[in-house]
Amino acid sequence: MTTQDPVSAQAALEQEIAQLIIDTLNLEHLTVADVAVDQPLFGEGLGLDSVDALELALALQKHYAIRIEADVKASRKHFATVASLAALVQEQRSACGS
Amino acid sequence: MAEHSTDKQHWAAQRERGSFWLMKLTAFGLRLLGRRPMTPVLYGIVLYFFVFGRRARHNVRQYQDYLAQWSGRSELRPTLRSVFGQFMAFGESLLDRLDAWHGKLKLSQVTLHDPDGVRQRLMKNRQGGRGEILVGTHLGNLEVCRALAELGEQVPLNVLVHTANVAHFNRLQSAAGDHQLHLMQVSEMDAALMLDLSQRLDRGEWLAIAGDRVPLQDGRRVVVDFLGHPAPFPQGPWMLAGLLRCPVNLMCCLKIDGRYQIHLESFIDAPAWDRRQREALIKGWAQRYADYLARKCLLAPRQWFNFHPYWHVDAPLPATGENDAQPRRVAP
Repeated sequence: MTTQDPVSAQAALEQEIAQLIIDTLNLEHLTVADVAVDQPLFGEGLGLDSVDALELALALQKHYAIRIEADVKASRKHFATVASLAALVQEQRSACGS
Repeated sequence: MAEHSTDKQHWAAQRERGSFWLMKLTAFGLRLLGRRPMTPVLYGIVLYFFVFGRRARHNVRQYQDYLAQWSGRSELRPTLRSVFGQFMAFGESLLDRLDAWHGKLKLSQVTLHDPDGVRQRLMKNRQGGRGEILVGTHLGNLEVCRALAELGEQVPLNVLVHTANVAHFNRLQSAAGDHQLHLMQVSEMDAALMLDLSQRLDRGEWLAIAGDRVPLQDGRRVVVDFLGHPAPFPQGPWMLAGLLRCPVNLMCCLKIDGRYQIHLESFIDAPAWDRRQREALIKGWAQRYADYLARKCLLAPRQWFNFHPYWHVDAPLPATGENDAQPRRVAP
């Protein structure tokens, strides 16, 4: 899809997702730089809750034309951090054969 | 004691076996005999449920009592006769429901109160545009609305329901010739469901959901004042509205002087929330909805077809009964 090397493509995706989180949840007091890729999104970390997760899941699915199946254990893992979300998006994008 | 503990049963955990057999019997009788000879039979069946349904009798009495107190209208106070009247109204609504499914109840026989032009928007969605949400109630005859929407308008309507009980009604409905209406059994909102609903709205389909019953599993409820007493209401409709950024309309179908009236009105034009005020917003919408219901109850006091304990604020969630789906969370 791009000629970027995988590492910077990964970083770009992570930035994009951090921005999407900020936009979707109106976290206007934050910038992408404030959201570390390995910072927990829920609970102690960014303090998101399960409704935020739903908003975010919907936004991600629409933005990347992917489908997130709600398997409890898997989604818990996928929604842990920006990095894990990026991994999920990448995995789903290739699975959806874009 | 045993009686007491069954009193506390959640509506969704109660099997609707009784009303299923009642409906099946009346459906059969109607097909065979027509409506008129069935009426005395219906009286018999309703009398049976009245006599043996101690729990339901108690709940109906409580509702009528609260309604009378809240409205200050002493003529609404419960009596044996008025409680039986509410059971009878339910029986009658079952007959009407079947009539509606058979297409015997025509749109022309129904008075439509639609000051906000909800129906026009619904019709317009046949040519595209984004769908909307209809919030219905078990006050009056929800099924008549559904049937009319389906038979009269041919608008794709997705009805979101919570319980496994629905399987009964599905069987009956398919026997009654309804195939197009899309009933979706929803036990918990998850990411895939949200996407699905969002795509349906984008295709111009509408969503219908009841606003007056709390789902069993995920306990998303909000306690608001209803008829002067705190009662748990579902958060579901308002969550959907906020998450899907979708306008909400209210729908209510009452039988008044022997004639059905469908009341439609806009409720939330453009739901938008900030996550910090989300909880307060949901509570505000639920309270406004409860106030709306209270006003409608006065139009048709005996058509409150929630026969389960309604003002059960701290009822513990019962262990999963016959519902096979387990709660699912998209994230911690």
